[in-house]
Amino acid sequence: MMSLNVRPVLSALFRNRTGAILVALEIAIALAVMVNAAWIIAQRIQQMERPAGFDVRDTFAIGVAALTSRSDLGAAQREDLAYLRSLPGVIAAAATSSVPLSGYGQGGSISQRPGPRAPSVDERSMQVDESALAALGIRVIAGRAFSATDIQPLSHDIFAGAPAALITQSLARKLFPDGNALGKPIYGGDNNTPMTVVGITNDFMGSVWGSPSYYTVLYPQTPGSFGDYFCLVRTQPGKTEALMRTAQRHLAISNPDRVVIVAQTLEYYHRRLAAENRAVVIFLTLVTALILSVTCLGIFGLTTFNVSTRTRQIGTMRAVGARKRDVVAHFLIENAIVLAIGGLAGCTLALGVGYWLSDQYQLPRLDLRYLAFGLVTLAVIGQLAAWQPARRAAAIPPSVATRTV
Amino acid sequence: MLRYYLRLSLKSLRRTPGLTALMVCAIALGIAACIVTLTVYHAMSGNPIWWKNNVLYAVTMDSWGADEPHDPQHPTLAPPQLTYTDATALLRSSIPQRKAIMTQMDGMLSGAPGQTVPMQALTRATTKDFFAMFDVPFEYGGAWGGNDLDALPEIVLGKRANDTLFGGTDSVGRTILWNNNRFRVVGVLRDWQPLPRFYDVVDGAFEPPEDAYVPFSWITTLRSVPSGNMDCHTSVAISNYQQLLGSECVWIEMWAQLPSAARRERFRAYVDSYWAAQRRAGRFPRPLNNHLTNVSQWLQVNGVVSSDSRILLRVAFAFLAVCLLNTVGILLTKFLRGAPIVGVRRALGASRRQIFLQHLVEVAVVSIAGGVLGLALGAAGLVGVRAIYAQDSAYGLLAHFDPLGVAWALALAALSTLAAGFYPAWSIGRLPPAGYLRGR
Repeated sequence: MMSLNVRPVLSALFRNRTGAILVALEIAIALAVMVNAAWIIAQRIQQMERPAGFDVRDTFAIGVAALTSRSDLGAAQREDLAYLRSLPGVIAAAATSSVPLSGYGQGGSISQRPGPRAPSVDERSMQVDESALAALGIRVIAGRAFSATDIQPLSHDIFAGAPAALITQSLARKLFPDGNALGKPIYGGDNNTPMTVVGITNDFMGSVWGSPSYYTVLYPQTPGSFGDYFCLVRTQPGKTEALMRTAQRHLAISNPDRVVIVAQTLEYYHRRLAAENRAVVIFLTLVTALILSVTCLGIFGLTTFNVSTRTRQIGTMRAVGARKRDVVAHFLIENAIVLAIGGLAGCTLALGVGYWLSDQYQLPRLDLRYLAFGLVTLAVIGQLAAWQPARRAAAIPPSVATRTV
Repeated sequence: MLRYYLRLSLKSLRRTPGLTALMVCAIALGIAACIVTLTVYHAMSGNPIWWKNNVLYAVTMDSWGADEPHDPQHPTLAPPQLTYTDATALLRSSIPQRKAIMTQMDGMLSGAPGQTVPMQALTRATTKDFFAMFDVPFEYGGAWGGNDLDALPEIVLGKRANDTLFGGTDSVGRTILWNNNRFRVVGVLRDWQPLPRFYDVVDGAFEPPEDAYVPFSWITTLRSVPSGNMDCHTSVAISNYQQLLGSECVWIEMWAQLPSAARRERFRAYVDSYWAAQRRAGRFPRPLNNHLTNVSQWLQVNGVVSSDSRILLRVAFAFLAVCLLNTVGILLTKFLRGAPIVGVRRALGASRRQIFLQHLVEVAVVSIAGGVLGLALGAAGLVGVRAIYAQDSAYGLLAHFDPLGVAWALALAALSTLAAGFYPAWSIGRLPPAGYLRGR
């Protein structure tokens, strides 16, 4: 039965080959774009969904910089923190040298052995006081948190090492792949003074620049080496925005020797981090949807045209005994051939584009399951687009064959 | 004749309103997607000082440590910034016509009449040639004078700072406090925001413009720590400002104006001989890798154009291609349906050329409608992009509809649809009339 049907379909197809070729080309491009766009979108969503690792909600940061050489940032810090903790609605307030996710901060390399040639891991570090973990909602998984006695006084040595450090779980595993990091010495800064890992925290992102990473180190030190410090304030839910404005107004005038340089919620930085990825996802989703719709319209248009130009032939087919569903099958098979040719070309194109993307932009190689899924989707949607005109063709009465136009 | 063709084509388009709307919408969507991505791409890949592209050179020198290159992913590149030792040494050369070293600082401006709260002012510490070299426009006054590393406490204010502190009036000669130190205002800039900020891509190519410019020698006198990127590779601790200045940390950008090849070669030789002398003295473990890089190459090697915007641009063009293929298909079928009428017209004496032109006019009507709608959709799309980037400082500025963008879009619309319509119009003009007259 099939073989009987395909030959007239092929000859009919050949008569309007320009239209069929155009639609096949559309299908090929649509498939290549759809598959690779879906692949990129999947990567981006994965990136966007990586948790920050700390409580992004209900926390804000106020940055303060020394204005005069007279200013004693250590004293100013104590004063600011005392004020912030006195505000009703504040759960915790801490001083740090940078704000996670803000794009401003310090980083370096850390190693499990001393000396300049020891293999090292790039990290982002923060100088923090004993309240920082509470303000950020970071948990200590093993070992202990910093206590007030751990915190070193403010130093103007920007590479000053601290005797102790807290590192994230990922960093601990990276530095000590086959052992427990707890209590071990690590080396950073001048690479010769050991710092003891007193605790391991859950993974969280430090002050991100470049690509986000979970390799974060906390040093117990009064921040201010760079002439500035940040107060991280955790509030009761829903009070963040209002408390931030209150604190900003107060701190701006409470001490003339230093100034407020920034006041921002951590939610803002978190949103900003995802903005680029979000824009890419929105654009690609939109364009892929549009390409699919335009391609479907092309298929619909081609089938409609074929039906309308072959009214008499369809009538003749019906008159010599073809059933309605034979007519529908005729057009669907014709469409399937176009889809197959376009799909085949599209597979080649999709693989080529995928290879080029991974080569040019260091994207992971295209997952073939995406290609298979795209092919099936396009086949189903493509056949649905041809369904309505094919049904219309089936409705053509056999009497049309005898009528003159 | 043209008006007659126009009437015919409008009549023909009205006969099939659904198909016409479909074609116009498809073209409009394709063009809108291209406008949005092209505008962002164009702004990102722009060279804000193209007229001096082969005159201005970024000076880099591989001062990095022995273990690995500064950027392991691009091992041929030197660090994009210099150490204080090297920057100040190269600044002494008299070979460049102009030269400047610079770094980014956090600043606070206070002490203006009636000012109660200090103003946060992103500051560039640089040397006096910065302004003339980059053609920075002044509203009032000008750059400070003196020698490169021995300048008076003088400051140049950006437009925003002058508007905020002095209400936009001529503040030249007034005294203001920068980080609580007295500076005399010598110049006020006009609105100036080169995008991308080519002279300091390390600290962000799409950052807002600086509010203040201070002589470089003053930040070392005042012992101010820079706020821009600082990369260090040595394992020597830095515990005071003097150690920072003597360290192998790179944190200073350097640019030189080298208008002729001869001057360029002489300066290159100067840099290389300085490098060799330092190497003999025990510095620079890495092989010779000094570069003079012009502006466009500088933007390129530093990857200023994000790969995202390149990918999106290509997706948009693929989309436009699908839209155009669709239009070709629709036009072809539509014209072929009208073949019997064409046959009659041919039989009555219309030439092939006239038939071709008549159909091309119809294509042009569709393309103009699609182009105009696409322009409107593209403008709306750019508003959307700005909304997405609203929180992201100067990045949103990239999505502004510039006149060049409009010209691009119109040209794109006209070209692409005419290309799409050419084949259908040509194939209908080629049809032999007799076949369609038979049996009538």
